Amino acid sequence: MSRTGAAEDQRRRILEATADLVAEQGYQGTTIETIVRRAKVGYATFYKNFEDKQQCYLALLDAAYGVTTSRVRQAYDREQEWPDQVAAGLGALFEQIVAHPNIGRACLVEALTAGPEAVARHEELLKRFTPLLKPGRELNPRQAELPDTLEDTLTGGVLWVINQRLIAGDAEGLRGLLPETIEFVLRPYVGEQVAAREAELAASS
Amino acid sequence: MPEEELGPLPAGRHGFSREQVAHNQRERLIAGLATAVAEHGYNAVTITHITKAAAVSRRVFYENFEGKEECFLAAFEVVVAHIRDLVAEAVESAPDWPHQAIAAAREVLAFLASEPDLARLCLVEAQGAGPQVAARFHAAVRELVPPLERGREERADERSLPPNTEDSTVGALVSLAARKVAAGEAAKLEELLPDFTQFILSPYLGPDEAERLARSVAV
Repeated sequence: MSRTGAAEDQRRRILEATADLVAEQGYQGTTIETIVRRAKVGYATFYKNFEDKQQCYLALLDAAYGVTTSRVRQAYDREQEWPDQVAAGLGALFEQIVAHPNIGRACLVEALTAGPEAVARHEELLKRFTPLLKPGRELNPRQAELPDTLEDTLTGGVLWVINQRLIAGDAEGLRGLLPETIEFVLRPYVGEQVAAREAELAASS
Repeated sequence: MPEEELGPLPAGRHGFSREQVAHNQRERLIAGLATAVAEHGYNAVTITHITKAAAVSRRVFYENFEGKEECFLAAFEVVVAHIRDLVAEAVESAPDWPHQAIAAAREVLAFLASEPDLARLCLVEAQGAGPQVAARFHAAVRELVPPLERGREERADERSLPPNTEDSTVGALVSLAARKVAAGEAAKLEELLPDFTQFILSPYLGPDEAERLARSVAV
């Protein structure tokens, strides 16, 4: 392995260890000592990469939020029709969490316990989904009547569903909840019939 | 934060019994925790902050609570019980299910708007105060699911709504309220009533009727 490769590998191990520990013990219960032990690196390596625990955690948030939003975006962009785009985006989001439940727990559930900076990034993450939902307004014949808060409300509802499963230690349960979550998000824009049909499509695929 | 919001102190008699004094001290500690958490946030708050705000000794704190988490849970329960009572009362005079739902939403939003410190405690800090508190928070939110499920009887459509609908709905509304409070906009929570009304009622009454009722509650 090249020297930069080794350095990247160490940084990655530190972030993975941080995700696991924060998921298991919470942000407050996680220390640099437990991180370096779990990552099998020395303190010097830790401090070469990060100033302190908070910077390390924030780097984890940035990485995880970045990967998640780009996966969602890719899945969304592959589809043509907006209801299909939303269904695909939600599917990609849920799969990302099922594949990495510790990162999900560390970065979604625990972010609110990790101080104002983390809370601000979490809030910013939620805002990234608004532009994906907004085009749905144009499919609603009475779009002028839709509440301004609709996108925030729906994003909060999806996050709630995810967090409930993560807290229950049942990330896989998200797969079963995907069809009705799709229906939940689409209904206000396209009505129950279209939303339910999209949910059935997701259930049968 | 006014102490009466956390339940009345023991009724005035001639001299409290030992238990009544203890009860009183417990309530002062709960009120003290709410004040201290509003100032410092749950994770940074110390027993000293709490006992200072409550004007009781550390010894008394530890006679009542094992630590700050237990004290926080007690405070959370007091607030939740208070909201439960407010909602029960408001719902009683509503003529039908849709108006019960609106009355409940109105009451909760009005209470949280009038008590921004308590709103922060039970919506924001409770989500960030560690697993045990978070579990209590989720359980408290899910209490809203059964009364909402009664809306299913109002549906004209024969198809039944997916089972998780109410859970997603209450989670969505609580998240929205929590974000407003976290942004320091607790005072504006009551402005959300029309949006809440429309969002809550739409799956059961259909978008037209939900919108009509939402307009009727707009100021």
